[in-house]
Amino acid sequence: MSKFIATSAIRGAQGIVAEADELLQDALQKLGPDTPIAFKDKAGAGTTFYLPVIYGLMGNKVEKLGDLVPVMEHARSLLQPLPREDLWLPYLGETLDAGAATLFAFETIEGIRFTKGEQPEKRKDGFEFNGPISDVQARSWGIQLVDGRMPGFAAIVGAAKSNEVAVKIVRELQSKGQLTFLCADNNGRSMVDQLLEENVDMGYDTYIVPFGSDTTSAIYALGFATVAALSFGGVAPGDFRRILLYNKFRCFAFVLALGPVDDIKYAAAAGAINYGFPVIADTVIPNILPTGITRYEHVVSMPFDDIPGKDDLERAERLVQRCVEVRGIKIKVAKVPIPVAYGPAFEGEVVRRADLAIEFGGKGGMCFEWLRMKDLDDVEDGKIEIVGPDMDTFEEGSKVPMAIVVDVAGRKMQKDFEPVLERQIHHMLNGAEGFSHQGQRDITWIRVHKNAVAKGLTLRHIGDILHTCLHNDFGAIVDKVQITLYSDPGKVAELIDQARAVYKERNARMAGLTDEAVDTYYSCTLCQSFAPNHVCVINPERVGLCGAYGWLDCRASFEINPNGPNQPVLKGRVIDEVLGEWEGVNQFVLEHSNKVIERFTVYSLMDAPMTTCGCCECVMAIIPEANGVMIVSRDDYGMTPSGMTFTTLMATVGGGLQTPGMMGHGKIYIPSKKFIPVEGGIKRLVWMSQNLKEEMAEELKEACEREGVPDLLDQIADGSAVTTVEELLPFLEEKGHPALTMDPII
Amino acid sequence: MPDVEIPIEKWTGKVKEVKLGGGGRKEVVVGGEVTLPFLAFEGSNPNPPRIAIEIHDKEPIAWPASLLAAWGDAVKDPGTWAKKAVEFGAEIICLKLLSAHPEGGNTGAAEAKAVVDKVLSAVDLPLIVLGPGVAEKDNDILPAASDAAKGQRIALGNCEEKNYRTIGAVCLSDGHIAIAKTPLDINLCKQLNIMLSDLGVPADSILMDPDTGALGYGIEYGYSINERLRLAALGGDAMTSFPIINHAGGEVWRQKEAKASEGVPDAWGNPEERGVLFEEITTSTVINAGCDIVVMCHPKAIERVKATIDKLAGK
Repeated sequence: MSKFIATSAIRGAQGIVAEADELLQDALQKLGPDTPIAFKDKAGAGTTFYLPVIYGLMGNKVEKLGDLVPVMEHARSLLQPLPREDLWLPYLGETLDAGAATLFAFETIEGIRFTKGEQPEKRKDGFEFNGPISDVQARSWGIQLVDGRMPGFAAIVGAAKSNEVAVKIVRELQSKGQLTFLCADNNGRSMVDQLLEENVDMGYDTYIVPFGSDTTSAIYALGFATVAALSFGGVAPGDFRRILLYNKFRCFAFVLALGPVDDIKYAAAAGAINYGFPVIADTVIPNILPTGITRYEHVVSMPFDDIPGKDDLERAERLVQRCVEVRGIKIKVAKVPIPVAYGPAFEGEVVRRADLAIEFGGKGGMCFEWLRMKDLDDVEDGKIEIVGPDMDTFEEGSKVPMAIVVDVAGRKMQKDFEPVLERQIHHMLNGAEGFSHQGQRDITWIRVHKNAVAKGLTLRHIGDILHTCLHNDFGAIVDKVQITLYSDPGKVAELIDQARAVYKERNARMAGLTDEAVDTYYSCTLCQSFAPNHVCVINPERVGLCGAYGWLDCRASFEINPNGPNQPVLKGRVIDEVLGEWEGVNQFVLEHSNKVIERFTVYSLMDAPMTTCGCCECVMAIIPEANGVMIVSRDDYGMTPSGMTFTTLMATVGGGLQTPGMMGHGKIYIPSKKFIPVEGGIKRLVWMSQNLKEEMAEELKEACEREGVPDLLDQIADGSAVTTVEELLPFLEEKGHPALTMDPII
Repeated sequence: MPDVEIPIEKWTGKVKEVKLGGGGRKEVVVGGEVTLPFLAFEGSNPNPPRIAIEIHDKEPIAWPASLLAAWGDAVKDPGTWAKKAVEFGAEIICLKLLSAHPEGGNTGAAEAKAVVDKVLSAVDLPLIVLGPGVAEKDNDILPAASDAAKGQRIALGNCEEKNYRTIGAVCLSDGHIAIAKTPLDINLCKQLNIMLSDLGVPADSILMDPDTGALGYGIEYGYSINERLRLAALGGDAMTSFPIINHAGGEVWRQKEAKASEGVPDAWGNPEERGVLFEEITTSTVINAGCDIVVMCHPKAIERVKATIDKLAGK
């Protein structure tokens, strides 16, 4: 906490509490303690929440002047002396208390003004301020606040640099669905004046509500926040802690202080911070950057003229963007803004040569996609840049080099999520009609249909799709997305080397991501709807048995949906390192398998192996006669040496059963270092589906070399030569397969 | 003859009790189970399964003649229909606001409020109010329906993944019970319960609707999901331990076997009796899986299911 702010806020609080006290004494004397107090808006609509901040935070029902006496006593008790010049104590607590006292004083002052008929405020020129928000309006907005249709509100204090800037700020806020509350002026000029001069309508209907010309009227914003928590948060009056937390996590509000900030405004800011609402100022004031009471920074200074931008309008836009970031507001775009249809129906679409407008990558071409994480300040959300010629200038049917570079930034973004998000580009782009996308990284191959180009699809729209989808699907980890599309051959060639270096780095990182390197595995219970007792435990070196969920995917999924199907599983105390059995894993599996699976090992096929749902890419089964195991893949319809086809094997092992000697698994588990290590690893593999052997030849060869059996791949039988156990044994003997001389598998 | 020892299951969990009604309205408490249904030798479940009768805010268009005939002109007015439902033994009234469906009239918040007012003043039973099941539309009309019944503790639904925040918040604000609906998936059901709880909806204000199919239309699935939820609750899982509501009746009367009177084999028998049997069997099945509130349609089926409940409860 800045000592300067602490000092100013406490001084401001002392001043305003004294002023409220004085007003109260005077009113008590002149009007008497029984004078009724009731908040009403300018249309006369009231509230059943008394003076809502006092009611919510203290539990006191203020119905008449006399009820304010204990409120002021409480406010005074919250005030501490100013921090001493020569002493540097932690003063966050004192400042926040001063903030709370300020809020009580503000509401007291406005309450007294109501008894005198001075609220809602009427200006000499006839303009009527709204005053506090009525219950009817609070309910309508409150519901939208809870369900996310409306992120929150901006309480604007003071006046903008110019009328033009004022209008721009309000429009930007409206476009984000944010309510705008206007309170307080600077030396007699406020945003209300600016908007009036520019003929901007204010009122409930336009989501712009002018509260009053004094800073004290800012209390109506916090009154609204308090009513939301009381109504829709199920919080009891007086339970101040839950009211404040509710607002911190559910009401995305902030204070935007335009112009100079005086002591009273600092005191009000301290009050807002109690609610988790940060303060952003367009003047030079000390920053309070560490997080804590608010979600992110507490006080951010953004001197208007220092904001980068070509003119004041752009600066205003950036200012609002910064407010949105500091408060952590996520904006959703309902529809992908492109000239062709978009949806899952188009995912399997093929663009044939005859219909081809343009092609990026593919055989002999060059196309790659690269998603990289950057700092929040280095990414401009929504910016889409095209470097090189665009769609309409390409010769029909030609092949053009292309680089899709996506820069993302987010508070919860992690470097490790880069490949997870990057792989989604395939799925996102395929949703567009007339657009086909295959591969990933530097083997990306994109084809665009003539009809799509005729409908006006340009390179920019690739950016639009990615921007919208990344926000909508991964908003929990991504705050900003910027896309650059390079069609300039020289640029693509230059960047591809950088991208390849990154792919290499990622591969190395993945290789280093071992089971031993982490203390947490992840679960996947997505399949429990049909396999009720099945739990996938996913470790870095074994992908989920469907092949679709790796450890990193699960980690990202958990960030996105903390109540979802991928939960962290703490390994806990080790029971048997070799078997891969941990207390934490056993406990998790027991709890999540309807208490059916009591033991669970990560490294063995024979001793308490993982259960199988119904989605596995492959099934592994022992062949006792050969002292080894076989693997059949889902896309192999033929017979296997076990005497069963894939389908029959699935029926035996699927549905959430734990079947020692049989197990479903993902394809890329086979070359893993942790491939059934207890049974001896890949050396046990005596038979596999032919297609699998061909498809994974490279990875398998590498694994065989790593395990010191470089010739193994040729010694493994496949469906082309062998489909019975009678054929298998002579084959293995002839090839000298190592499994024959290994320890008995049973 | 040696004595046979009956094995007794010892459960650690208990289903939460949820009270509907109050504020001048009759009260009905559901839930509170400490063991599986009707196993009196294992434990004493405090509340029997309750029968809610389904009524609509407009005349049903898809109901077969046999079902319509049982209700007569009452279906023309929700107030009259509700009163008739009381005569037929309803313990709770389940009002479906179908006319708000974008393709079924697209009526708005004012109409929803009016019909809720009407039913509330016609009968003094506790009320369940359901929107048309289109998330946006539900968000539009259910807050008004909720407001009309403030303080009378109705059950409001459905909360689905898309709109649970809105409906949950309205329930919180007006003191109602949120109905959490999920499509036959125990984990999605549990997840939605967690999310509603995170929203602040208290544990005594949630009902779960894990869905079911009618007899011949996946009732095995429905039975299994309901039973698994109950087993998990009795096993101590707090986030599955809410009472279960089941729309067995509505599911049955959507199906051909309950409706068809022409062009079907003679062996299918009398259409009315056939439909009643389908509803009776579907409902009794889900009751045995642990459902706490069954929403039914045909008076004859209701009578029989009531008798079954009494018999199983040893009355």
